[in-house]
Amino acid sequence: MKLKKLLEKVEKFLSADPDTQASERKKVRELLRALKDKEKALRRQLEEIEDGEERESLRTRLDVVRAQRMKGVERIKTLRKKKAL
Amino acid sequence: MTRKQLFVPTVLLGLAIVLWFASDYMEIAVGVAFFLFGMHCLEEGFKVFTGGTLERVLRRSTDRLWKCLLFGTASTTVMQSSTLVSLITISFVSAEMIALAAGIGIIMGANIGTTTGAWLIAGLGLRVNIAAYAMPMLVFGVVMLMQNAKGVKGAGYLLMGAGFLFFGIHYMKEGFDTFQGAMDLSAYSMSGLAGVLMFTLIGMLMTVIMQSSHASLLIIITALAAGQVSYENALAMAIGANLGSAITTALGGLAANIGGRRLAAAHVIFNVISAAVAITFIGQLSWLVGWLASLIGIRPDDYLLQLALFHTIFNVLGVVILVPVVGVLASALERWIKPAPQSSEQPLYLYADALETPETAVTAVRKEVQHLFDNASGLIAHGISLKRSTIDSDASLQEAIAATRRHFPLDIEAAYEEKIKSLHSEIVGFIASARSQKNLEAVSDELYALRQASRDVAEAVKGMKHLHTNLVQYGLSENTAVRAKYDAIRLRLGKLLRQLRQLMQGETGELPALEVDAARVDLHKTSRKMLDELDELIRSHKLRPAIATSIMNDENYLMQIASNLLDAAQVVLAGGAVDLKDGLSLDRIELKELASQQEATGRPK
Repeated sequence: MKLKKLLEKVEKFLSADPDTQASERKKVRELLRALKDKEKALRRQLEEIEDGEERESLRTRLDVVRAQRMKGVERIKTLRKKKAL
Repeated sequence: MTRKQLFVPTVLLGLAIVLWFASDYMEIAVGVAFFLFGMHCLEEGFKVFTGGTLERVLRRSTDRLWKCLLFGTASTTVMQSSTLVSLITISFVSAEMIALAAGIGIIMGANIGTTTGAWLIAGLGLRVNIAAYAMPMLVFGVVMLMQNAKGVKGAGYLLMGAGFLFFGIHYMKEGFDTFQGAMDLSAYSMSGLAGVLMFTLIGMLMTVIMQSSHASLLIIITALAAGQVSYENALAMAIGANLGSAITTALGGLAANIGGRRLAAAHVIFNVISAAVAITFIGQLSWLVGWLASLIGIRPDDYLLQLALFHTIFNVLGVVILVPVVGVLASALERWIKPAPQSSEQPLYLYADALETPETAVTAVRKEVQHLFDNASGLIAHGISLKRSTIDSDASLQEAIAATRRHFPLDIEAAYEEKIKSLHSEIVGFIASARSQKNLEAVSDELYALRQASRDVAEAVKGMKHLHTNLVQYGLSENTAVRAKYDAIRLRLGKLLRQLRQLMQGETGELPALEVDAARVDLHKTSRKMLDELDELIRSHKLRPAIATSIMNDENYLMQIASNLLDAAQVVLAGGAVDLKDGLSLDRIELKELASQQEATGRPK
């Protein structure tokens, strides 16, 4: 049993690609930052617009940005876990 | 048999006869063959290392003309192949990854870089016994070539290339030494303008036949070293070699698209102007060479180095003359060389040279899918009886739809065959060729995604065929409830086309994945709303169930068309980071959930 675990650890260590993982984390963080900025901009626009149809469209985009950001945060967590292993 | 098919057998037969009856030429011919094979190996070796680095440097080196010149000079000096640099530059200009003026700058720099070859041959090649260095290079090169690692294999090609180049120079030198005893070509030397023109022509023909100005210069320098040609005639031959290389590029450019043809034309103009100036002022240039040679310590009787100096001076002179007018030349070429009038189904970006590097292959396919997308958008706009110009403008789509009195005449089946299917087939064929090439393995997934995007566009148009039939039948119905529903379908499709056009033109910021997902949520919401309204109309007997079913079917076609267009747009707009952007985009289940949540709360959160 010990040997099996040891072999698994060795395999994980050998198959890990720290550079690729680090670069992906960096890219997701950049994208999250851009989404956050977009969310702020959409909120500002929403305060200024009265028109019903346009308001609804802005709210949809705001919901999508939020959902995409949540996905990105989950992605970062997964990548962090991978790094820790 | 065509003339082209006859050319190679004729050359081979002529060569066989010459080598059979005049064995003195054998060593010279072997030298040229080794030299050319060496250059081929070098190009192969550098191609292994161009999987990104050269392209990245090239893209960064094109914002200023001096950077373009420096890049052209440096890369050609290192690689000793202006052909490879020209080829990659043509691919980049053709794929519109760099501007024509930047491409001209690189080609001019490459012309200066190629002159270092003459210095190497004259300065080192004929003075040192380089064959002694060639042997270990070939041994190590072959061993490295047998390895699986890409980098080691590439280094093996480079070593073999340098080894064969050295052997080529050695055999040429030996060949001319032997030849000297048998025949004296210097007896045919000519002076005056006739001599200059005659030997320029000979130099040009040599380069066109061997497809390498380097090989021509090697022959010229070794012939000069052996005393077979006079110094004056050798200068003219060097001018001819330059002209010949422009013809080689021009032939290559013919196979490229409009950008490649413009660049090839610029290369010809540059070399013709340099040659004309050099021929006109050959006396003055010879004097300048002598003066500069004495300044930098070249002996007056060292004609080999003086020839190399002449080669450099007249190429630099050409650059100096043309640098101030590069911008003007580029705009003039864009005016003179225009795409031949052709129907829109012809591919605009797919050409053989685009397969040279992964970046150009992906960019060419991406642009072609965008072209297909553009054709499809036009066709779908006509299908819902809206002008393309209306979609492209800020005019109210609602008003345009309400004002429709008759449908646009459109044979959608024929238009699909002519504008969509043929182009889609070309894209599929090109991707199939690309996927069979080893150097493009790294971008295989991206090409696969683009092939799917092309298919999605074709499917969208197929969906439009079905929708169009019912639109023509019921779209302008006297029944206001029916007309209103078909108007709503047309409006949603029109809005989507406008939104996608803005996305494709980068008018909506840097987050296309957000816009695409938002458009999908909107579609789901409006679709549910329409189906609910149809139920209500049936219940209140304002609409017969048979007509309501037709509208529901058409609503379904609309959703298919929209979904296909959005899928394609997502891939085209991803621009190389397919995995990452797909990772943050919402999947179909998440989108439906979001639409349902918004409906459940009565309004979006």
